[in-house]
Amino acid sequence: MSSEHLRFTGDPALPASEFAVSATDLTKRFGTFTAVDAISFTVRKGEIFGFLGANGAGKTTAIRMFCGLLPPTSGTANVAGYNIRTQSRYIKQTIGYMSQKFSLYEDLTVAQNIEFYGGIYGLTREHIARKTEQLLEELQLQDRRNKLTASLPLGWKQRLALSVSLLHDPSIIFLDEPTGGVDPISRRNFWRIIYEIAGSGKTVFVTTHYMDEAEYCNRLSIMYRGRIIEIGHPGELKERYGLDSMQDIFIHLVGGDIRPENTP
Amino acid sequence: MQRILYLIQKEFRQIFRDRAMIAALFAVPFIQLVILGNAITTDVTNVDVMVSDLDRTPMSRHFAERFSTTEYFHLVLMEPDYNALRGHLDNGRAKLAIVIPPHFQRDVITGRTPVIQVLVDGIDGNSAGVALSYLARIAEEHQAQLLQTEPALGRSLREARIIRSEPRFWFNPELESEVYIIPGIVALILLIITVFLTSMGIVREKEIGTLEQLLVTPIRSTQLILGKIIPFSILGFVEITVAMGFIYLLFGIGVEGSLWLLFLESAIFILTTLGVGIFISTISETQQQALFVGWFFMIFAILLSGFFIPIANMPDVIQYLTYLNPLRYFMVILREIYLKGTPLHYLLPETIAMAAFGLMVFSAAVLRYRRIIK
Repeated sequence: MSSEHLRFTGDPALPASEFAVSATDLTKRFGTFTAVDAISFTVRKGEIFGFLGANGAGKTTAIRMFCGLLPPTSGTANVAGYNIRTQSRYIKQTIGYMSQKFSLYEDLTVAQNIEFYGGIYGLTREHIARKTEQLLEELQLQDRRNKLTASLPLGWKQRLALSVSLLHDPSIIFLDEPTGGVDPISRRNFWRIIYEIAGSGKTVFVTTHYMDEAEYCNRLSIMYRGRIIEIGHPGELKERYGLDSMQDIFIHLVGGDIRPENTP
Repeated sequence: MQRILYLIQKEFRQIFRDRAMIAALFAVPFIQLVILGNAITTDVTNVDVMVSDLDRTPMSRHFAERFSTTEYFHLVLMEPDYNALRGHLDNGRAKLAIVIPPHFQRDVITGRTPVIQVLVDGIDGNSAGVALSYLARIAEEHQAQLLQTEPALGRSLREARIIRSEPRFWFNPELESEVYIIPGIVALILLIITVFLTSMGIVREKEIGTLEQLLVTPIRSTQLILGKIIPFSILGFVEITVAMGFIYLLFGIGVEGSLWLLFLESAIFILTTLGVGIFISTISETQQQALFVGWFFMIFAILLSGFFIPIANMPDVIQYLTYLNPLRYFMVILREIYLKGTPLHYLLPETIAMAAFGLMVFSAAVLRYRRIIK
């Protein structure tokens, strides 16, 4: 595949501020291993953008760079108009992040977790109190507010974690395999919330290795061995390859080679 | 600032959530004090001793009896056969053999100095040394008594113009080792709390993934560190205050010097231990690793601090090595303040050394932490 083919810069007619995320030749190497290999793409505001790939394809490494958790080896990217190399502090105030690891404190209560993260994002006490009530109501957790987070079922924990990562009203939310280990019904519910979030004008950047979830995305990029090998709307991709499902497209593209390899 | 307060609040909530933790925090100093204060004592009592009286005179018997009337020694047998002594020492029946030479009485009366031979089982060199010093004291006391009852001896002594040395022990007149050990326990408690809670607290967040979550928030790494070390330092200070209360109740030992000075010195000391805790967190991925490294550090810090083994008893090379151990200085400072009430200006060299180490270790650890996080 030529490098020309790999350049998926978005619509050049759009001004830079139209993009929630734009990456140019973004690369991350760990020693001799290249986890992310010169990826370039853009994500429009309000889009649900998916990163599909096997374990070790470089999805998490890429997302960690966008969130300012990891400096790139070369290339650059802008998130919410800020440069990931030099302005990660501004980025952190504008983005939400929820990782595959459950990130709430299990030994704190539901309300205490909300209060803590609200405080960390610099919200005022009144703001936190208001948000807490609103959140508990949305999640129907009012009667569990003083229960330890550890006592919640996994699906609820993940919804709570998602809500907490939205406390400071970020314009972009990064979800790194948010539905890992969750039953299909909870997953469907979770995606309903993702649609609500996108409906409110926020950009959702989500990584997954579930093919059904890939179908839900507005736009999708398929990662393989650190590279983006295909990008587009799920329907558009099916048309292009003349295949019925994302599963078939994925297998067609990576030739059945979805061994988990080179996990950083 | 507000963010740090939220971090501190969270940390305390987590600590108080865990009842086992609370119990440990208050039980540990108590147990340490009771066990270390009473059991780990370098005092030597009831040393099994045998006496071989080769003189068999009233005076030699009188001297031998002294060993059955003191708590330091336990007279296990009188062995008239000098050659059998070695066997008794070998099989452990006695740790110490005292041989009263023939003509003991005659020599005393005529003013010649009889020489008493002592055979020591030196396996526990420390105890043996202490036992020997008790023995010397008994001999001295005996001598003093003889001066009054044996005019001939008195005459000869006066002629010899012997000046008797008489050591007097201040601050710890009974030479009780508890008094010496106990202030050291305060240092140990502070060391354990700050090193282990700090390192494991940070690594725990790494393990469960909350650290990563915090890193995507606008919080600065300095705030993150302060949010960890402030609560654990507060806990450390509460802990030593509780320990000092226990010490007073259990052993009747109060702080002779200024409590404020003691706290100030403690604050300087924990710069090092917090630094070590942060450093350990940067090289450990799991709490077990952190525990292991922390343990390794602690053992060396304690062994080379003069807590158990007096530094003066160590080989020269090791003695120089102890200068690199901030706990060494803190031990001296604590004992001085606790037992003698020494004011700051006499403790300046130790304080300065400790502060220098503290600043170095702490800033190096924080820099490394910030680099790792970036």
